[in-house]
Amino acid sequence: MDRRQFLQSAAAASALGALPPVFAAGAVKVAVMIPQSGPGGLFGPSCKACAELAADTINARGGLLGQKIELLFADAGLAPAEAAQAALKLWKGSGAAAVIGMHDSAVRGALVNLFKGQVPYFYTPVYEGGECAKGTYINGETPQQQLQPVIPWIAAEHKPKKWYMIGNDYIWGRNTNAAAKGYIEKTGAQVVGDEYLPFTVDNFDASLARIRDSGADAVLVSLVGGASVGFNKAFASFGLAEKALRLGTLIEENTLAGIGLANAKNLYSSAGYFANITTPAATAFAGAYAKRFGPQAPALNGLAESTYEGFLMLEAVAKKAGALSVVKMDAACEGAAYSGPRGAVTMKSRHVEQDVYVADVGDKGFRIVKAFSRVSSGQTCQAAA
Amino acid sequence: MTMDGGTLLHSLNLVYELATLALTTLGLAVVFGLLGVMNMAHGEFVMIGAYSVVAVQQWGLPTIAAFPLAIAVCAALGWVVERWLIRPLYRRPFDTLLATWALAMLMRKVVEAIWGKGFRNVDNALTVAVPIGDTSYPAYRLGLIALAIVLLAALSFWYRRSSAGLRVRAMTGNPMLAQALGIDTQRLASRTFVVGVVFAGAAGVMLAPLIRVEPGIGVDYLLDGFFVLVVGGLGTLGGFAGGVGVIGGSQALVSSIAGQTSGYAVVLIISILFLWLKPDGIFSRR
Amino acid sequence: MRRLRGRSLWPAAALAAALVALPLVGNDFLAYQVALFLIYGIATQGVALCWGRLGFLPLGHALFFGLGAYLAGGTAKAGVAQPLWWLAFPLALLLPALLAWVVARLVFARRMRSGPYFSLITLAMTMLGFLAAQQWTGLTGGFNGMGDIPEPPGLERFSTLYWLVAAAAVASTAALGVLVGRPLGVLWRAIAQNEERLQLFGYATDRIKANAYALSALLAAGAGALFATHQGIVTPQAMSFVLATEFVIWAAVGGKASPLGALLGAVIVGYASAELRDHFATWEVFVGLLFIAVVRFLPEGLSGLAGMKVLRAARPRLAPVPAPPARAPRQVPALVYDNVRSSQGGVRILDGLSFRLEGPGIRAVIGPNGAGKTSAFNVLTGHLPVIGGRILAGGRDVTGQAAWRVARMGVGRKLQVPSVFAELTVRENLCVALWAGRLNAPAALRNAPHAWHTPLLDEMLGCFPELAASLDEPAGRLSQGHRQALEFVMTVLPEPHLLLLDEPCAGLSPAETHQMIQVIQRAVRRLNAAALLIEHDLAAVAALQGEVYVFHQGRMLAQGSLQAMQADVAVRAVYAGARK
Repeated sequence: MDRRQFLQSAAAASALGALPPVFAAGAVKVAVMIPQSGPGGLFGPSCKACAELAADTINARGGLLGQKIELLFADAGLAPAEAAQAALKLWKGSGAAAVIGMHDSAVRGALVNLFKGQVPYFYTPVYEGGECAKGTYINGETPQQQLQPVIPWIAAEHKPKKWYMIGNDYIWGRNTNAAAKGYIEKTGAQVVGDEYLPFTVDNFDASLARIRDSGADAVLVSLVGGASVGFNKAFASFGLAEKALRLGTLIEENTLAGIGLANAKNLYSSAGYFANITTPAATAFAGAYAKRFGPQAPALNGLAESTYEGFLMLEAVAKKAGALSVVKMDAACEGAAYSGPRGAVTMKSRHVEQDVYVADVGDKGFRIVKAFSRVSSGQTCQAAA
Repeated sequence: MTMDGGTLLHSLNLVYELATLALTTLGLAVVFGLLGVMNMAHGEFVMIGAYSVVAVQQWGLPTIAAFPLAIAVCAALGWVVERWLIRPLYRRPFDTLLATWALAMLMRKVVEAIWGKGFRNVDNALTVAVPIGDTSYPAYRLGLIALAIVLLAALSFWYRRSSAGLRVRAMTGNPMLAQALGIDTQRLASRTFVVGVVFAGAAGVMLAPLIRVEPGIGVDYLLDGFFVLVVGGLGTLGGFAGGVGVIGGSQALVSSIAGQTSGYAVVLIISILFLWLKPDGIFSRR
Repeated sequence: MRRLRGRSLWPAAALAAALVALPLVGNDFLAYQVALFLIYGIATQGVALCWGRLGFLPLGHALFFGLGAYLAGGTAKAGVAQPLWWLAFPLALLLPALLAWVVARLVFARRMRSGPYFSLITLAMTMLGFLAAQQWTGLTGGFNGMGDIPEPPGLERFSTLYWLVAAAAVASTAALGVLVGRPLGVLWRAIAQNEERLQLFGYATDRIKANAYALSALLAAGAGALFATHQGIVTPQAMSFVLATEFVIWAAVGGKASPLGALLGAVIVGYASAELRDHFATWEVFVGLLFIAVVRFLPEGLSGLAGMKVLRAARPRLAPVPAPPARAPRQVPALVYDNVRSSQGGVRILDGLSFRLEGPGIRAVIGPNGAGKTSAFNVLTGHLPVIGGRILAGGRDVTGQAAWRVARMGVGRKLQVPSVFAELTVRENLCVALWAGRLNAPAALRNAPHAWHTPLLDEMLGCFPELAASLDEPAGRLSQGHRQALEFVMTVLPEPHLLLLDEPCAGLSPAETHQMIQVIQRAVRRLNAAALLIEHDLAAVAALQGEVYVFHQGRMLAQGSLQAMQADVAVRAVYAGARK
C-alpha cells in the first residue's frame, strides 16, 4: 500500500484506539491513601501521579470488572487517628469500594483497625512483614525478600567478613536487622554490631566511631528518611565509604538525592523497583509516565511506583475473584498474578512473590547490577478468612 | 586501630558536637539571653541559612555567595519581625512565644512551597578526610570547629570591650536607665534581634553540607537551644559555654555508652531538673 | 439563684442543642467525624482553663491526653478477657491527674514567677513521654501503636458512641462555666491578675494552681480515654509535641477565656483543617496567618470577638448571710526582729534591724528614703531574702517563710503601691479578702460565699460610701484615693491582728488623709490589733498619737513618742542631712 493509504489507515486505527472504551456499568470508586503532609509528604506528588496513571491504564483496557475507576485521594501523612478519619470519609462517606494505601505502618494499623476486613485494602510500600489481617493484600517488599538472595550475592562478590547493622528503633528497623542476621551468619560472616537509633537523632558520630572501631567491612543500613540521609553523608565524610560497603533496603531516589552521589560510593540498594530498570516493561512504564506528566513530572521512585503495582494487584485479584467483595477476594487471592513494571508478580499468602533488584550508584544515579526473579516474601498467612 | 586513634576520634567528635551546638544556639542566646524574647522561629532561621546554600548552588553561583544571601534574608526578615511582631509583645512572654511559633509555621510553609518537602543535598568541596594522628577526620568539620572557636572568641572580646557591647549590656541590665542615659533602646533592641537571627542563618550556611536539609529541621535546633540556655543561664557567655558543655557533653557521653535514645532522654531530664530547681541556670547575670 | 445558674449555663445548653441536632441534620458519619474534634476540644478546654483563667500556659498537655488514652486502651483490652479490669478504668483519668498535681506542686512551690519555665517543663515531659511511648513497645505497641481497643460495652463506635462524647463535651463545658462563677473561679482570676497580692491574704496559691492543673489534666486524660475507645487505636502521636501545640493553637484561636470558645476552637479549626487541607494547598499558611492575627490583635480569640466571655453581669442580689468566723489567731502576735540583715544586688538593705512589738495599738514608722521601711515589711512577707538574724512572730521563727504562711498567722499587709485585682469588680475584690481564712474547699464550690458579710465589712463600707457606690465596677477603674481605700478595707477584712500598712495615705488629699487615719484608728480598735504604719506625712503621724519608730540605713535609729523623736538630736541630724 502506498504512503497515503498507510497514513490514512494508521490515522483511522489510531482514531479508533483513541475512542474511550465502552464500560459495562457505572464507575467504581477506589480510595487512595497517600502521604501529602508530614515526613512522607515528599512522596505525595509522585504517588498521586502513579495512581492516576494506573487508573488511566486500567480504564483503557476496560476498567475494573468492567467499571471505570474513579480515584478518591486522602492524606495518609497525618496522625493515624486523622488518617483513619480521612479513610472513613472516603469509604463510608463517598462509597469507595477498595482502598490502596502507600503510607507508614502506624497508619496501616489504624486503617486495619477501622476497616475490620469489610473493604479490600491493598498496602503497597516496603514494610516489616507480619500483616495478615482479613481483607488486606500486601504488595510491598519484605525484609526477607530484599535480603535473602541479596546478602549471599554480596558475600560472593565482595566477601565481607564483618557486618555492622544499624537501624531506626522501631518495628521495621528491628525486623529487617533480625532477618539479616540469619542470612549473614549463613554466609560465614560475623555480625559485629547491631544498633538502633530513635528518629530524632541528627548526629551519628558515636555510631560511626563504633562502626570504625569494630573493623566492619559491610554495613546494613536500616534507617529511614532523614536519618538515612544524615548517616550516609556522615559515613562518606569520614572516609568510611572506601573501607566498608553499605547495603540498604529503603534507599530510593529521593533519599539518594539527599545523600548526594559523591557520598554514595559502595552503596547498594535492594528493592523491587528502580526508576532506571531497563526491562521492556519498566521502560514502557517510565515512558508512559513521562508522556503523561511531561518533563516536570515528580521524579519516579520505588515507593510511588508501588502505588501503581497496588492497582495492578487490585485488578488481578478482582478479576480472579469475579467481584469486589472481601470474602470472594480472600478466597481467590492466592495465586493471583500479573505482569507489570516490576516484572511478574504473584500473590502468595497475602504477600507477593516478585523480582528483586540490586543497584549501586554511578555518575547518574542508581545502576542496576543484579536482578533476582520470583523471590518469595518469606511470610506465611492463612489466605482464607 | 590503636587506643590513641580511637580516643582522638572520640575527642574530635565531642568537640565537633559542642562546636555545632554552640553555633546553632548562639543566635538564640542573643535573642533570648539578652533580649528575653522566646523566639520559637529560631530553628527556622537556621533552616533558611541552609536553604540559602541550596539556592546559591541551584543558581550556579559560587558557594561562598550563600553567606551574603543568608545574611541579607535573615536580616531583612528579622527586622520586619522585630518591628511588627516582637516589639508590640515585649511585655507578654506567652504571646511572643505563640506569635513566633506561628511565624515558624509560616516560614516552613513558604520554604516548602518553593523547594518542596524533599531532601536537598548540598555539594561540599572539602569532602576529604584529613589524617590526624592515628585517625582521619573530615576537613570541613575541622574548619568548622576552628571557625566556631574564632567566632566565639571574637564575640566575647567584642561584648566585653567594645562600646557597642557596653551599650547592649547597659540595655539588658537596666533598660529604663539606659534609655534615660540617651541610649536608643528601641533601635538597639532591633539591631540585637537582627544580629541574633543573622547568627542563626550563618550557622545554617556553615552546617548545610553536613546536615540533612529539609523544611522541618528547625524544631530540633530550637529545642536544643532552649535547653542549653536554661542550663547555662541567660545573658552571659560563660553561662552559654557552660550550657553547651553540659548539654552537648552529657548527650555525647550517654549516647556513646547507652545509645542515642538514652542520650536524648538524659538531655530532657537534665533540662527538666534545671528548669525546676535552678531556672536561672549555672551562671546567670540575673 | 435560678437566674444565676441559667446565666452561666447557657453556653453549655446551646452546645447541647447543637450537638443533638448534628446527627439529625447531618448524618451518623458526620457525627463520628465531629466526635473526634469534640474529644480534642475537651483537652483544649483543659489548656484554656490554665492559660485563660489562671495565667500559666501548659505547653505539654498531650502528655496527659496520651497517658489517659494508653491507660484506657490497656484496661479496655484487658477487660475483654477479664471483665474485672474495667474497674481499673477510672485510673486512666486519675493517674494522669495525680501526676499533674505532683509536678505542679513541686514546681510552683519553689517559685512564684515560674510561668514560662513551667511551660518548658511540661513540654520536655511530653517529649520524654513520646520517647517512652515509642521505645517501650511491649507496653504501648511502640510505633505501630496499641490497636484493637474495644468499644465501651453497649455502645457502637460509628453511631451511639457519639452521644457519650457529646454528653462529655456538654458536661465539661457546663462544669467549667459554672466553676468560673463560683468562689474558686474568682480566686483563679485573682491569681492570674495578681498572685502576690492573693498570697498576702493567706491563700496558698501554689496549691490552688496545682489543683487547677490537676483538674485540667483530668479533662485531658478523660478526653484521651474517649479517644482510645473512639478510634480503637492509640499511637505515640497522641502524646506528641505536635498535638500539644495544636491544643494551644485551638485554645488561642477559639478563645482561652471561654470554655465553649476553646471547645469550638478545636472543633472548627480542627475540622476545617481536615476538610480544607485537601482542597487548599495553602491552608496551613492560612492557619499560620490566622494564628498570628489572633495573637497580635485578638487576645481573647474568636470567642472574644463574638462576645462570649463569661458574663460578669450584675449578679442578682443574694440575701446577705453572716460569714463563718475567721481562722486567724485571736491574739496579737508579738513581733520580734532580731538583728535582721538583708541585701540584694550587692546593696545592704537591712543592716541589723532589731525591735520588738507587743500588744495592740498603732506604731508609726518614719525615716528618710532608703531607710529600709518597706524592706522591713518585705522580709517578713518573704519578698526579700534574709541573710542574717531572725524574725519571730507569736514566738515562732518565721524567717524566710512563704508570704501566705505568714499571712495565716494573722498578719495583714497593705502594699506601698495600692494593689488590687484590677479586672475583678470591687465587690469581688472584697469577697476575695473576706473569704481569706474563712473559705474551705466545699464552700469554694458553692454560691453562698458570694453573699457573706461581716459587721466589719458593713462598717467599712459605711466609712467609704464611694466604694459602696461602685461595687460593680472593675477595681482597676478606681481613682488612686478609692483604690487606697479599697486596699485598706481588703487588708482588714480577714481580721488580722498584726497590720502592716505601707503609706496608706500616699496620693490622698488632706481631707482624704484625715478620713483614712480615722478609719484606720477605728479598724485597729475594733480588731484590737497591732499596726505598723509607714508614713511620710508627719501631720498624719501626729494625728495617730502612737509610738514612732525611726529607721535609718537599715536599722532602727530611735523609738518613742513623736515629740521625743522631734527633739532627738540624732533624728534631727538624719532629717536635716548632717554628717552621719
